[in-house]
Formats: sequence, C-alpha cells, structure tokens
Amino acid sequence: MESSAAEKCDEISNRISGLVLREPLRRGWLGGFALAFAFLMLLNAAILWLLIRGVGVWGVNVPVAWGFAIVNFVWWVGIGHAGTFISAILLLLHQQWRTSINRFTEAMTIFAVACAGLFPLLHLGRPWVFYFLLPYPDTMDLWPQWRSPLVWDVFAVTTYLIVSLLFWFIGLMPDLAVMRDHAKRLWVRRLYGIGALGWRNSARHWNRHETACLLLAGLATPLVLSVHSVVSLDFSVAIVPGWHSTIFPPYFVAGAIFSGFAMVLTLLIPVRAIYGLRDVITERHLDNAAKVMLSTGLIVALGYATEHWMSWYSDDLYEGFLVHNRMAGAASGVWWLVMICNVGVAQALWFRRVRTSPVLLFITACLIQVGMWSERYLIVITSLERDFLPSSWADFHATFWDWATLAGSMGLFFTLLFLFIRLLPMIAIHEMRKETVQEGEPQP
Amino acid sequence: MNANLTSSSQWRTLDEFASQQQQREREAEFAAGAFEWPDDLSRRRFIKLMAGTLAMAAAGAGTSCTRQPAEEIVPYVRQPEDLMPGRPQYFATSAEMGGEAYGILVRSDSGRPTKIEGNPDHPATAGRSSVHLQAALLTLYDPARSHNVRHKGAESTWEDLLGTTTGMTPRWKSTGGTGLRILTRRVNSPTLQEQISRLLSQYPQARWHEHDAAFPAAAQPYTLHLEKARVILSLDADFLGPGGLHVRNAADFARARQPSLLGSMVRLYAVESMPTMTGTMADHRLPLRPGKILQFARQLQGALASPEAAVKNPWLAAAVKDLTEHREASVVIAGEHQPPDVHAIARAINESLSAVGTLIEYTTPQPQGGSLAELVRAMNDGAVESLIILGGNPVYDSPADLDFSKALARVPFSLHQGLYHDETAALCTWHVPETHFLEMWSDTRAFDGSLGIVQPLIAPLYSGRSAHELLAALLGEYQLSGYDIIRNAWRPRYATAETFEAAWRKTLHDGTGPAPQQRPPLAASAPATADGASPSAQDASLELVLRPDPHLLDGRWAENAWLQELPKPLTKLTWENAAHISPATAARLGLVQGAMMELAYRDRSLTAPVWILPGHADDCVTLHLGHGRANTEGSGFNAFLLQTSDAPWGGTGLTLRRTKRGPHIFSTTQEHQRMEGRDPVHLADIGKMGGQYELPPREDETLYPPVEKKRPAWGMVINLSSCIGCSACTVACQAENNIPVVGREQVLRGREMHWMRVDTYYAGPPEKPAILHQPVPCMHCENAPCEVVCPVAATVHDHEGLNLMVYNRCIGTRYCSNNCPYKVRRFNFLAYEDIRSPQLALMRNPSVSVRMRGVMEKCTYCTQRISAARIEAEKESRPIRDGEVTPACAQACPTAAITFGDLEDPQSRVHALRKSPHHYALLAELNTRPRTTYLSRVQNSNPEMA
Repeated sequence: MESSAAEKCDEISNRISGLVLREPLRRGWLGGFALAFAFLMLLNAAILWLLIRGVGVWGVNVPVAWGFAIVNFVWWVGIGHAGTFISAILLLLHQQWRTSINRFTEAMTIFAVACAGLFPLLHLGRPWVFYFLLPYPDTMDLWPQWRSPLVWDVFAVTTYLIVSLLFWFIGLMPDLAVMRDHAKRLWVRRLYGIGALGWRNSARHWNRHETACLLLAGLATPLVLSVHSVVSLDFSVAIVPGWHSTIFPPYFVAGAIFSGFAMVLTLLIPVRAIYGLRDVITERHLDNAAKVMLSTGLIVALGYATEHWMSWYSDDLYEGFLVHNRMAGAASGVWWLVMICNVGVAQALWFRRVRTSPVLLFITACLIQVGMWSERYLIVITSLERDFLPSSWADFHATFWDWATLAGSMGLFFTLLFLFIRLLPMIAIHEMRKETVQEGEPQP
Repeated sequence: MNANLTSSSQWRTLDEFASQQQQREREAEFAAGAFEWPDDLSRRRFIKLMAGTLAMAAAGAGTSCTRQPAEEIVPYVRQPEDLMPGRPQYFATSAEMGGEAYGILVRSDSGRPTKIEGNPDHPATAGRSSVHLQAALLTLYDPARSHNVRHKGAESTWEDLLGTTTGMTPRWKSTGGTGLRILTRRVNSPTLQEQISRLLSQYPQARWHEHDAAFPAAAQPYTLHLEKARVILSLDADFLGPGGLHVRNAADFARARQPSLLGSMVRLYAVESMPTMTGTMADHRLPLRPGKILQFARQLQGALASPEAAVKNPWLAAAVKDLTEHREASVVIAGEHQPPDVHAIARAINESLSAVGTLIEYTTPQPQGGSLAELVRAMNDGAVESLIILGGNPVYDSPADLDFSKALARVPFSLHQGLYHDETAALCTWHVPETHFLEMWSDTRAFDGSLGIVQPLIAPLYSGRSAHELLAALLGEYQLSGYDIIRNAWRPRYATAETFEAAWRKTLHDGTGPAPQQRPPLAASAPATADGASPSAQDASLELVLRPDPHLLDGRWAENAWLQELPKPLTKLTWENAAHISPATAARLGLVQGAMMELAYRDRSLTAPVWILPGHADDCVTLHLGHGRANTEGSGFNAFLLQTSDAPWGGTGLTLRRTKRGPHIFSTTQEHQRMEGRDPVHLADIGKMGGQYELPPREDETLYPPVEKKRPAWGMVINLSSCIGCSACTVACQAENNIPVVGREQVLRGREMHWMRVDTYYAGPPEKPAILHQPVPCMHCENAPCEVVCPVAATVHDHEGLNLMVYNRCIGTRYCSNNCPYKVRRFNFLAYEDIRSPQLALMRNPSVSVRMRGVMEKCTYCTQRISAARIEAEKESRPIRDGEVTPACAQACPTAAITFGDLEDPQSRVHALRKSPHHYALLAELNTRPRTTYLSRVQNSNPEMA
C-alpha cells in the first residue's frame, strides 16, 4: 500500500471526523437548529392539541376523511426513497459516485420515514388503540383484516424503517470507530465506542461488514419498489374515482424517487457550501442526481398522461368528471401547480447548465418538492371532494393545525438532520477511504 | 337508603363534607360544558344554545332545585305487572301544536320517556309522526329549560307567587277583573278552554287574547280528505308542511299518489312563491309571488265559470280543464297565509266543483280570544294591570310595529309561563316554568272532535307547573293538582262514577277517547264573493314574504338543537335562515349566493344573506321567522323585525341594499343539488305516457355468483313517489340512535352526524325545476366497499345481511367512509356526544351504544329493534313476521315511503316492491348490491301542458 494513500486515508478520517469533533459550534448551525427545534415544538403542541380534542382539529370531514395527514405521509415516505435508492440500488450497480452522499441520504431516509410514520398514527380517530393493526395474539382471536391495504402499509413501512435503520447503522459502525479513535474526551470516546460495537478494523470485521452491507442492500432494493407500491395500493384498491387506478404502483415509485432526489439536492447543496465539501460532493454528484430526477420526472409525467388519457378513453362518467374537475373545478389551482412544477419545471433539467448550477438546481428541486406535495394533495383530497353522489360533495379546508403539523414534521426532520450533522460523520469515512485506496483519488 | 344518596355524596368527616360542599359549588359555578376551548372549532355557541343557563341546570339537577321526594328504595316484593327491567313500555298520550292535537305513543324505559311515535288509533297521526313530534323529546330533557319560578329575575317560589296572586284576587273580585288580561297561543285543550271561560265569567271585565305567530287562524278553516282526490290545486297552501293536519294529509296524499294507481293517480298543481314541501310534490308548479295569488284566484274562478276566458294563459286553461273534468274529485286549497278573499274564492270554486263535504270540509273556527294588537293598545293605554302570558314569547315573536316590550314595561304585574326563561320571561315581573307535555296532565281535542288525555310519562324534571295548575290557582283552586283538574273536567262527560272510571282508563290506555257523539260543527254557508282589487298585485317593487321556519316555526323550537341542526327542506340549511330569492331576480339585481343585503321594508331594515333558490317566484324575497333569538346566539337573523301587524305575512315595498360585508358562508349540508348526469333519483312521468308506463329493461345481470342470502335477509325499499322531503325520518333516527348534535361550526366543516339524510336535487330549468327528494340511509351493500378496506375488521357483515359497525373495534382510519360511494358513514371527529349533562343521559335509548370520539358510525337498520323482534320470535319458535320490525325512520315517515322487511320472504312487502318496474338501486353500476333500494319518483303531469 502506498504511503500517500495511507496519508490520504488519514486526512479523510481527520477531516470528516473533525467536522464533528473539532468544529466549534457555529452561529449558523445554532440558528438553524433553533429554528428547526421551534418547529419541532410546534409539532409537539399540534400533537398535544390533537390528542386532547380529537382528529377534528384538522380540516378533515365527510367526504374528505383523509386530509393532510395522508398527504404528508405519502410525501415523506416518498422522500425517503431516494436514500435507499442511492445506498442500495446504486451500491449493487457499482455506482461509485454515490459514496460521498450515501450516508447523508440514508440519514435523510430514516428521518423522513420517522416523520412519515407519525402521520398514520396521528390520523387515527383513536390512536391509543393503534395496536389493533398488529397481528398480536388477543383473547378474542381477532387479527387484522388482511384484505385492507392499510394492514399491508403497516408491514411495508415498518419493514422499510427497520431495514433502513439496520443498513444505516451497519454502514456507520466503522466510522463510529474512527470517531472513537479521534475523540479527545473520554466520555465522547465512550459514547462513540458503544456505537462502534467493539470495531477493531480487523480484516475479519471488514469482511463480515462487506457481506452484511451487500445482503442488506439486496434486502433494501426490493423495498424501494415495494413500499411505495403498497402505499399506492391504499388508493388503487379503493373505488373512489381518481384513486381506483392500476398505474399507481409504478407511478408512485417513480414519484417517490423524483421527490426524494429533489430533497437530496435541497439538503446537499447548502451543506456542501457551508461545510466546504465542494471537492467531496462535486458537481458530478449534482449532475447525476439531476439526471435521476429528470428520468423519474418523465415517468411521472407519463403517469399523468396515462391517467388523463384513460379517463377519456374509458368513457367513465365519474373518471371523466374527475379530470375535468381537477383541471377546471374549484381546486384547479392545485392541478396547475402540479403540472407546472412536476412536468414544466422538471424539463429545465435537460440543460447541463441547470444541472451543474447549484443555485438553479436548488430552486428546481424546491419547486419539484412543492409540486410533489401538491400531487399527493391532488390525489388524496380533490378525488374525495367529488365522488359519486353530488349530494355528498364538499370541499376540504385545511386548518391551522393541519399546517402546523406539516411544518412541525419538517421541524422534526431538520432537528434530526442538524443533530446528525453535528454528532455523526455525514460522509462515509470508510467508503471514502476505500475509494481512495482503490482508485487513487475520489472521482471528480 | 335515600334516593339521591350516591357514593359521591357520602362523607366521613365534617372536613370532607365541607370539601364536598365546595366541590359541589364549584361544579355549579363551572358546570360541565359551560365553558369550552375558545377556538374556531369550539362548540361554545352550540353549548350555549343547548344550555344557555347550564350553570343553573347543573345546580338544579345536582342539588337543590328539583323536587326530589325522600323515598325509600326497596326491592319489589311483588313485581308490578308488565314492568320488566330492560323492556320498554309504551304509553299513549297526546301532543298539541298550533291548536291541533296529535296522538302519540311514548316509549318508556325504566320510567324515562325515550322515544315518541304516532298513535295508530289517533285520527290525526294514525301511527305516523312529524319532525316536531320527534324532536319534542329533546325539549323535555333540555338542560336549558327554565328551572325556577322567578320574580324580577331573581329566584323565587311558587308559594311566593301564590301569595302575590292571592293578594290581588280581592281587587279583581271587586272590579270584576278590570285590567286582567290573559294571552295564550292557540288553545286546543278543552279543559284549558273551560278554565279560561270560567275565569272570564268569574271576572267579567277580564279579557283573553290569542297570539300564535306560526299558526294563524285561517280565514276559512278546513279539513282535507285527499285520499280520493284526483286533481288538487293549491293556492299557496302547504298542506304537507308543518302544522294543521299535515301528518294525515301527507298520508292521504301519498296513498293517492301511487303509480300503481295508473290513470287515477292524483295530479297536483301548486301556485306558490317559495317552494314548499307541497310545491316540490307538484306535477305543475307555478311560481307566483303572494300578492299576485288573489289575482290568479280570480282568473281561475273566471275561467272555471267560462273556460274561454283562460285561453290567454295555457297553464290556467289546462288546469281548469283538469279540474272540471274531475268534478267531485278535484279540490282547490287556499293557504293559511292568504287573505280572506282567496279563501272565499277557493271555497266558491270547491262548492262549484262539488268538493265540499267530500274532499274538503269547512269547519267553524275554534273559540278565539282577542288579537295581540288589541292587547298592546290596551297595554299602551295603561288599561292592563295584570297580564298572564300562558306559553308564547310575544316579546320576540310579535310584529315589530307593536313594540310589545315597550308596552309590557307599562304593565305592573306580568306573569309569564313558559318552558324557557326567554325574552318575554326576562321582561315580565314573574316567570313560572311550564311543564313539558310529557310531564303533565291535560287533554286534547282532535280535528274530528275525539278527545284524548295527555298523561305524564315522568315527574316534572324541574319545578314546572302546567297551565291548568296556574289557571286553577288564579281561580282560587290552589289545592288541585293537574291530575285532579283533568279528572274533574272529564267526570261530567260520563253518566256515572263507574262508567267514568272504566271510560277514563280506556281513554288513558288508547290515547283517544270514544268516537265523538257529534262532529265539530261545519261552517254553514259560503261567504260572499270577495271584492276589491288587491293593490299589491300591480306594485312593481319587491315583495316581502314572511313565513314560519319549517323547523323552528316562530322560534318556539329555537332552543331545540335537533331541529336547529335538521337540514331544512330544499336548502339543507342548518342553524340559520336566509333571504330566499329567485335566480332571475337575483340576476336582475346582480346578487350572488351569500351576498349580505340590507332589507328595508317600510321604516325598518335588517341585514340578511341571499340564498338563490331555483323555483322561487320572481320579484319577492322569502324570509323565515324564528331565527335570531337573543338567547340562542348566532343563528340567523330575526325576521320579526320586519313584520307589521296589519300585514303579518309581508307585502310589497321591500328594497335591497348592498352592504360592505363579505359573502356569507351558509352552514348547509348539501352544497351541490344538480344531479350531474348521475341520476341518483330516477324520474318517470306516467302522465306523459298516457297513464301507462314503460321503463327501460332492468340490468341486474352479473357475472359474479349470486350472493347467498340467509333468511331473514333484511332490506329496505324507499318509495320516492311518496317521499315529501319532511325529514321526520332524520329526527326519528336521531332520537332512536342517540345521535349527537355537532353545532353550526362543525356543520360548516361537513361533519353533521345524521345517519339518515334527505337529499334534494333539482332537475330541469332553474326557473321551473323539478325538485326531488331522496332519503339516504346506509345501503347495507352485499358487496360492501367499506368492509374490505377496514384494517381491523370493525365493519363486517352479519348473517342477516346487515353491515355492522363494531364501535369498540374501530380505530378511526376513516377508510370505510372514503370507500363508501353513498357517503352515509359518520365520524366522531370530536367528542360530540354530551355525556356530562345528566338530563341527556336520561333521554338516551338504553339499547343503543353512545359512541365516543374517534369512531365511525352509521345506520344500523335499527338493529336493536331487529334484536327485540328476534327475541320475541324465538321465544315463540316462529320466524319474524313481516312488519314486526320497523326502523325508526320507517315508523316516523308520514307517507309510509319507507318499507322494511325480509327480502327472501316471498310474502313480504319489500319483496313485492322489489318486483316493481320502478325499482332501482342507487349507483347500481358499482355492483355494491345494496339492500336499500328505491322506487322511482313518478310524476303525473298533464299531457296537455308543456
């Protein structure tokens, strides 16, 4: 092994662990954390109020019995998908460029799934009996009702959370050992040491670690496709016009990765600027992520086109009315927002200038996230507003607590993310080192 | 053990007793529900409305004010006959509204009245009921009812009041009752009438006045017999609407309206301003503002005399031809709000059509007191020293120009008796709580003269007195209880004491007395033909139309939250009223739905939101009375402010001015009333098919294997040709199934809880729409979309085909509601059921669970009634008979539009109805296979009319 490679490895270890161990608390981080934490407290207040009064503090009604909670759930789960896509699928496909961003995006996945997981629970009328959803042995021999997609959801999402968490933690172990070794203070060393689970950099450790990572990547890969497919079945299985559609699974998965990569870019672009990681997270990463967004965005656009064409081709009264109502009805603004953001704005990614310009890319990614949230609003809420009998039609009006819960969930997400940046190595040290050794230099 | 000694009132030490005392005081001060979270979702207003004086309610219920006899609680040594704990008993009694008697049966669970049904033996109800009869139950238990005798607002006692009146008696005696006035609503009770006349004869200078803002005495009172009618023409008469013999009329009308009658199905023409329930059932409806109805009546009379006179008006010509072709089976009905001239014309026409005596009988008016205007004049002259107001709320419900409250201030002794401490009570020197009709002894006289006894189902909840007891006290008979008064009044009606006792018991049991020896006298001769043109008919300005609210009437039901929240016919408005206007007039004036307008009429004005109502007559604005009561906060505006005593039902000269306020958001339960090509109501017209009908072949073929039905396979068929859209089913369901009230804010959020709703759709052009009603309960689908999506199996099918909700299992994902194409599921978004008011706990049906926050609920086909019938049938080892189970909606329906039974029983009525060519399933294309199905709405229009 060349000495320069060993030096570079040391430098990488020093630099990345230094971000956590030696970097002073900066005002920017503190301010950002305080803001995120304030929103987290807003979430707490919103949840408390919800538990005191009931789910009626939100704007849900009959016919729109599912509101922001489900929109937010689908949106957050979708965002999580990018992380798993990057760490699992790209690992299996030997896309080396993923190395410098996979730790960060895996963290993003877990935090997003944590946010997502809150919503189905909070949305229950009686959240304290959520365990009826689980197949536990009860004295009445009652099991969940297996035909309901909500039960499938429970399994899909919990599996996803567990696998993502394991994958993330296994990947983190060698790095926690580096942190342990670089830490100066005893209690910090101890803490990281506990997380490192006695990692000693032995060849056997590395061997097992590599195998475990591959296995978990193999496990996580189908989840990227299955979780959002199952989530989409919540809608496909129902008979509501606008929900009852067989194209939902692929279209939801593509949308998930689309919005997930948008979130990845929204987070990475500021982080690489603030922490001076432009040489680690390079323009090539941005370009590649943007290309993934472009391609998934095109799949989503194809989904929209298919949906609209089918409503015409089927000659179904309800489907036809639904599309007309979405485009020209009371809530048509949402439809136009979706189309402009997800179909219109996304086309900017054809241009290399946009893909390599952090500012333009950041703006595009933010708009796409707004568009994807609106798309879920369009599917969940506007479909319910106009179903079969005109006598039941009614509009949904979000309340303060709807918005507070959405903003609060972002507070939770960013609080976790800020803590992650300060407490854990946000770039996979061992993978960066491996790349350095194997290929001399991280690819530009 | 003392009856009110509960565990929480036991104490061991004096300190503990003192702290319990403090606790009780705190509870009295901060009563449950008296304050709520001040948030936009708060139920504060609703709670206020339900319990404006709830602090007193809690004090009254919890501690001192109720009369709680110190009784020993001991187990029965011998079980009383027929009393089985857990098994309800039924008692016959009578209710009275607007001077009309309604015989009812009241279900009593362990001594608590819990449901009101029509009495099948009573001529006015025949086992059917109405929204008001159903909702009266809530008024009985309303925590906001008046609890105390009050003197100048402060709590007082009945004895103090007696002391005062006794002190006044010598002066009345010496002056012959000069300055003594009695004000009542329309009085039906013969005993009360007797008492009033006794008082008037005892004090010859005393006067009796009558004021009933909802039920004006018609100029020519009549009784209808519509069952044999072939052609009916209504001149602004809502004979199916509230009041009068509407329950009976609706039943008769529905019987004459069946498509199976083919060519002899009744045809209805309606001439009216705002569409009423009657108007919605019409084959031909002519929107006409009230001022023009007299003119129309004259034209009608002229055209009947000489048919060629009507050629200019094809509508009139066709109607006249139809009327004359069906002589002896056609009738013209004039509305109670129409001037005497219209009544006179209608009567003359009926006599010429030979309808009098068969289809319509004119009766002599009941004895009537002087008018309110005369009373107010005397009050302002200082001629009234003592005013006794028995029921009624004239401070609120009198024409604004009389300024009753100002006149009342000049009366030294004013006594108000009422169920509530209302606006009038607040201004009177004395107030006595009135007993509810389920708490007192009284009697009634039905339209055919048959007498009925009103018997108490429960001891008075608060310290109320009946009007009989109050009048007896004024007559000096302090010692008489209500029971004695009625018994004494009834004794002379029978020959001997023995026959009296037996007859009394029989009447008490049956609810209606022996057939009257003589029917009430019929009016002798037709009055002279009306003369003089009505000037209003030519006036070009807008016309103001004032009408009692279909549910609150003149505001007497404004405290009743069931009626406040019951969607009004057509508009489906709850908790408020609107200024109804036609689409053409709105377009002419440039008004949009919800525009806040200032309505100026004569020298008064008020601000009201505009509701553009298809089918409303042009150039007039209809306002409903009864809203905007001072102590029932935040629901609508008070239209009495525009009422004048010379023309109480409106007149021309109304102007509209824009206000700066933004558009009003109405709390309606149905925002979309067009069918959007989905045809939820199938409409057929046998009139246009020459009395025959041919319908498209029914498509109920399916590729799926048929669902195997086990007997009994419960099903329901709703006949849309019969349904008049009165919503009695909705309130009956609410009373039977312990359905909570949610308040206006929650209705605005789309969270009303009614298990049974009545949808209204418009079809055709907006100026002349067909107005269609459709009651929608749970469909109990055989392929129920709700069941497959519930993750915890909280909604499942039972062996009899019912789609059940298991409340304990429900976790509230609301997926079932999303997947229900009929949207009949209701969710407890908040804790809607008021479980803190002890009175409301007494009211609830013990056979139906009270649902907590966060669970879904919906129509069960009254599964508790099915269970009761099943138990009876199993005891006798026989199948349940057809008709043995009647859900609350079907039982209340005045037109018998709802039929329930076993679909697999070839003898059952539902089985036969399902074979009807008019039978169809709502959204059948979804293959939900609903158990609740419909018979099309069949019209019988005149083929000669476009």
